[in-house]
Amino acid sequence: MGKGDVLGEFEQVVLLAVARLEGDGYGVSIRKEIARRTGRDVTVGSVYTTLSRLEEKGLVLSEEGDPTPRRGGRARKHFRIRPEGASALEAARAMMDRMWDGVELKGVERA
Amino acid sequence: MTRHPSPTPPGIPRWLLARMADPDTRDAQMGDLQEEFEERADADPGAARRWYWKQAVGSLAPNLAHRARRTTRRGPKGDGTMSKVMQNLRFALRATHRHAAFSAVVIGTLALGIGANTTVFSAVYGLILNPFPFPEPDRIVGVGTAYPKLGRDLGFFENMSPHEYLDVKDNTRTLEDVVAWDMGNRQIAGDGPPQNVFTGFWWGDVLRTLGMRAHLGRGFSDEELARGDPVALISYRIWRDRFGADSTLVGSTLLINGNPHTLIGIIPDGVVMYGMDLWTIMPVQPDAYPRNRRQMQLIARIRDGVTLQEVNTELEGIAGRTQQAFGAEFDEYEGWSLQAVRWNEVASQTFRAGAFVIMGAVAFVLLLVCANTASLMLARAQGRRREMAVRTAMGAGRGSLVGQLLTESLVMAALGGAGGVALAYLGTAGLRQLMATLALPIAGAVEINGPVLLFTGVVAGVAGIIFGLVPAFQASRTGIAGVLQSETRGATAGVSRQRLQRIFVGVEVALAFVLLTGGGLLLNSFVRLNRVDPGFDHENLLSMRLTLPREEYQGDAVPAFFRDLTGRLDAVPGIRSAAAGTQFPPIGFSAAELFFEGGVPSEDATLPRALTTVVTRGYFETLGIPLRAGRTFDDTDDAGTVRVAVINEVAARRYYPDSDPVGKRLKLGGADADAPWHEIIGVVGATQNRGLDRPMEPEIFGLHDQLGGNQNQLFLLLRTEVDPAGLLPAVRQAVADMDADQPIYAIQTVEQAFASSISTRRATTLFLSVFGVFALILAAVGIYSVVSFTVSERTQEIGLRVALGADGGKVRALVVRQALLPVFIGAAVGAALSIPVGGVLQRQLFQISGKDPLTLGSVGLILVGVAALASLVPAWRASALDPVEALRKE
Repeated sequence: MGKGDVLGEFEQVVLLAVARLEGDGYGVSIRKEIARRTGRDVTVGSVYTTLSRLEEKGLVLSEEGDPTPRRGGRARKHFRIRPEGASALEAARAMMDRMWDGVELKGVERA
Repeated sequence: MTRHPSPTPPGIPRWLLARMADPDTRDAQMGDLQEEFEERADADPGAARRWYWKQAVGSLAPNLAHRARRTTRRGPKGDGTMSKVMQNLRFALRATHRHAAFSAVVIGTLALGIGANTTVFSAVYGLILNPFPFPEPDRIVGVGTAYPKLGRDLGFFENMSPHEYLDVKDNTRTLEDVVAWDMGNRQIAGDGPPQNVFTGFWWGDVLRTLGMRAHLGRGFSDEELARGDPVALISYRIWRDRFGADSTLVGSTLLINGNPHTLIGIIPDGVVMYGMDLWTIMPVQPDAYPRNRRQMQLIARIRDGVTLQEVNTELEGIAGRTQQAFGAEFDEYEGWSLQAVRWNEVASQTFRAGAFVIMGAVAFVLLLVCANTASLMLARAQGRRREMAVRTAMGAGRGSLVGQLLTESLVMAALGGAGGVALAYLGTAGLRQLMATLALPIAGAVEINGPVLLFTGVVAGVAGIIFGLVPAFQASRTGIAGVLQSETRGATAGVSRQRLQRIFVGVEVALAFVLLTGGGLLLNSFVRLNRVDPGFDHENLLSMRLTLPREEYQGDAVPAFFRDLTGRLDAVPGIRSAAAGTQFPPIGFSAAELFFEGGVPSEDATLPRALTTVVTRGYFETLGIPLRAGRTFDDTDDAGTVRVAVINEVAARRYYPDSDPVGKRLKLGGADADAPWHEIIGVVGATQNRGLDRPMEPEIFGLHDQLGGNQNQLFLLLRTEVDPAGLLPAVRQAVADMDADQPIYAIQTVEQAFASSISTRRATTLFLSVFGVFALILAAVGIYSVVSFTVSERTQEIGLRVALGADGGKVRALVVRQALLPVFIGAAVGAALSIPVGGVLQRQLFQISGKDPLTLGSVGLILVGVAALASLVPAWRASALDPVEALRKE
């Protein structure tokens, strides 16, 4: 596995948001999902560039919706997770689990 | 839900994001932002706008990064200029990296060229353009005078009398804070040994003129100036070095020539004009001075909003009124003029011309580097024709190819510029060290600062465009068909490119010709200068200065002191003889107008001017100046006997061309002047009394014993048998035995004095010679690379010729002949260019014409010879070609 195949932290966050929304994911809803769960008000630009990257890696699928007047006549872009995306998330989680296995942080002094 | 008029998001961030966003998701992003903005605007429009700003601006960076990343991976997709620039830059870096050897040569020569320019510019900027930390240097001027009647060109020193100063000060409306001043030596004492310091005497608050405040304390007040109070300021460097930067020093008492003065301030750091470390007030009673006793100079500040032109128009009027009022009494006012010149120019007068010659030469070097780089780039462009053709076939327009090649040039120029700055750091450090050892009377510092870096940036950018533009257009011109054609018909390929390369070779040769001629002329001058006979034995001669304070030594005590001292020094082992004089060759600065009885010119013409030197007995013998007629001063001459004078051969020939001067009389001033007569007792040989590069001047010597009282500042001259440096402790002891408070200073051998009288010439010569050699090497590299390249291109043709029976000699001759054609043309152009350049140089030359045929001829021969050598190697390789191999190639 090349190093480019490991999901970055923000990639995981975005990909998980797409997975949670089960097909209803588009820019606004993904941003809101992330904000609701992590408290981070991320920018639309960073969400979309991450989504583009995930799409290039073949982890998500995008689909143009119908233009709506409320968006200044622009179409929504909907995102769905692909099986490869699900595997990548599981691999990332498994890696972190292995790292966490047996770690005891209570004894570490903190400032 | 009630229908509100649709709120609109703020325009600026929307516009920005629309420009910068990744085109693939631009619509989705803009739509999402609009949707959420409208949602938020329903609740709080102000907060929604703020939110939109934050989102849009925060989205710029990830979008740009994403686009940049993607162009790397799959080529440009966007239409934005940004992505094109990024793409060009990336390709350029990659190309630079790929052709490492080629890039190293180009960047290395560029770094040398730019480094040399940066170093020279930092010196010119720091020493000439901006040597002082004055806040508005352009407003500070010196006021010079020219007296055509006295044969005196525009001068800025000892050019004004107190009356003339008041004429300017009281009548000007364009100048403010006009201050008169003078310079001299003073001794300061306190803790530690007495120290001699060069001192400025001011008749006004010069700090106000300069627009500065004292580092500590204050400048002279009007009351102190009016009363002539004993107050003083010392330079920052003395305060730091001698007094340990003691901040409580201001207000304390400083002994100057034994007199207590109150130290009122520290001169700001960097303001060391003419090496003056001490400032005091010059008390002047103008009425006590005749109108024509000119011992001071002027510095002034241009009023706000006034131009230098306006100042000079006004000064012209003031000079005219003075002429009207006093012209009858003082005929030197006939046609005299007053002229204000920027202070920085006045202060750097002596080496300004030389510095600009060096600056011009180094600019030529950079042009040469550009021509060389351009021809190298052209050669390489040949190897990249396929790449260009493929790009064109893939849809790249000509503009984008030019853009990309130009970006490559600029990247190399930028890297060369960075290397140049690094080299300039070394160069300026070297210059600083050199200046420290030479102890030049120069203000300012050589350093790499903001303006210097700006200069380097502009130079590198312009260089990149110069050497990049022609090859870029040339390379982009070859169409796909052209490449295919030339691939099949190798021998005739790229005719226009070859022509361009030859033109560049010609340009290089022409530039190198000019530089070599300049260097050659200066070198020739310098050799001639060093062959000049100073007129006396200037080796093993040590000089130093000693100034007796007027407060302690007056009248006959002064000559008595020096007579006694030279007698004591005569007895020091290692010293053959000792003497003293107010000046010595080559440092002749004091001159006066004289009247020669029975000599030429007649009474009503302008008075002749000669150096007037007061010496002790034994001066001529110590220096080794030969006696030509009569006798020199001896024990029979003293204060009580008739006043005597010795004149040099130049004066004898000029003023007594047909008669024997010995026995005639002379006096200072005109025939009617109220000055004592001096009888001429002897004629001595002429010396280079004003420097090796200036004509020998008439010189009149008087005897210190007869004229001593006012001559309290003399040079001691010691003829030594051993290394002079080892004698200093004994000399100091001899002086201390007589007066422990008198320091000797300005110690140098007479040889050093001669060397420093031509130090500007030496620097100019050195720089130009180095540049000339560098130019020659660059031209040789350029010729070699172009010829080898042409040969490798014509491999097939040459192989064919050999196969058809041409022998090696013929092939070599063919190659060399073709290579030399542009060299000859370049040399002819260079020779033509060298003539006006030689004219510009003429003032720096010595006993040689700017169009010296021998120099021009030698330079031509050297260049053609080096060019022939540079083309011989590839020619040899061509003639050794195996025809079978050559024909099989491709």
